[in-house]
Amino acid sequence: MLLNARSLAHFYGPRLIFRDVSLEVRPGTVTVLAGANGAGKSTLLKILAGLIRPSSGEVETGRSSQGQEPRIGYLGHQTFIYPELTALENLQFWAALYRRPVDDAGYQAILERVELAPFAEEKARGFSRGMAQRLNLARVFLLESDLLLLDEPGTGLDARSGAVLLREILAAKAKRAGIVWITHSLDADLRHADIVAFLENKTLGFYGPSDTYRSSRAIAPDSADTRKACGGEAC
Amino acid sequence: MLSAALIVTRKDISLTLGRGSGLVQALLLGLLLIFVFSLSLLPGQRMTPQAAAAIFWMASAFCQVLIFSTLYAHEEINGQRQGLVLAPAPVQSVWLGKALAGLGMLAAAQLLFIPAIIVFLGQNVSELWPLGLGILAIGDIGIAAVGSLLGALSQGQSAKESLLSIVLFPLLIPLFLGGIRIGSAVFSGALAEGAESWFGIALAFDAIFVAAALVLFPAVYNAEE
Repeated sequence: MLLNARSLAHFYGPRLIFRDVSLEVRPGTVTVLAGANGAGKSTLLKILAGLIRPSSGEVETGRSSQGQEPRIGYLGHQTFIYPELTALENLQFWAALYRRPVDDAGYQAILERVELAPFAEEKARGFSRGMAQRLNLARVFLLESDLLLLDEPGTGLDARSGAVLLREILAAKAKRAGIVWITHSLDADLRHADIVAFLENKTLGFYGPSDTYRSSRAIAPDSADTRKACGGEAC
Repeated sequence: MLSAALIVTRKDISLTLGRGSGLVQALLLGLLLIFVFSLSLLPGQRMTPQAAAAIFWMASAFCQVLIFSTLYAHEEINGQRQGLVLAPAPVQSVWLGKALAGLGMLAAAQLLFIPAIIVFLGQNVSELWPLGLGILAIGDIGIAAVGSLLGALSQGQSAKESLLSIVLFPLLIPLFLGGIRIGSAVFSGALAEGAESWFGIALAFDAIFVAAALVLFPAVYNAEE
């Protein structure tokens, strides 16, 4: 078990965001976190990351598959990119700070995976939203975290980059990372999920295996939305 | 903690030198202050060594506010602050990293302030200059310790909290008093009786500022909005 959240509740001032939220993240699983706008998904993810304190409840971090405290990779709404550094310098800074030794070939490889290798020496200030998000993905996946917390990682990505994102998520899962993934395309992303956590009515309206969620909400295993998200092909 | 701090320092210096504007603004502000005070002198008149030393430290104080404001602003553009808070190192390493970067930049600015003081305020540097270097080092450490804490406090916060950083600014007065006493001796060549005791006072305040910053920084620098 990488993370265990128990009886979480959170208020913004007098406004209740959610209450009685309990979930756990295990290695090699993808937990899709869904819900309507304002349901508190991003807040919950920040609480899981340790960025904000819950109003009540607790988050306990467990051990990675190597028996160490899990390394957390967090991708939020902002890109964490320094505009005045080059793409490569950005990656070098975050890798060094997160104590992740990477050689030149490693940087080149991750930049190629997100299709930014030709822009490695360019300052990030000139990057489009999509390029900045791909660099952000490179930062997160470069760290090879045990626990990946992704807040709408597909934002700003075209279909091709979306496929790259999906490939990286599945690769991280194969390496026994635990992934919590906020998505607004639940029908499309459901097939990649092991667990679904659905926030509604200020609490977890559903929390359980994705198959159970699918059958309870009568969603076809390979819906049109799924095919659309994968560029018209099965992915 | 030290290795993470040095990584932050290297990045901050690279960003500041790459863009340049942060240090240039701080330098210009300090130099402008010295120049404006020089206009108060009649032709051929020299400013008293005590006043010259006070102007030097005042220029340094305003300079450090701009330096640390710039250093912490780097993390407010794309939410990088969250990434720093989540790094597997004590959050105080951010304070230390920025304090070291700010210390270097402040020292670089002061290297230009000293000739400006000599030229515009008609001062001479006496044989007591090693004492001046000593108080400069001790004073700058304290300024950087407080500056790094207040820089974090004033970023991305409400107007009330920004004001707090100004209210807390007088904390530096003991360091400035020591700096002015010793600086005055360096410019005049005459060391007043008991002036050496300011070294001990300044060192004691350095220790207090460093300890207080280490304790308070996690409460000041977090990802909560």
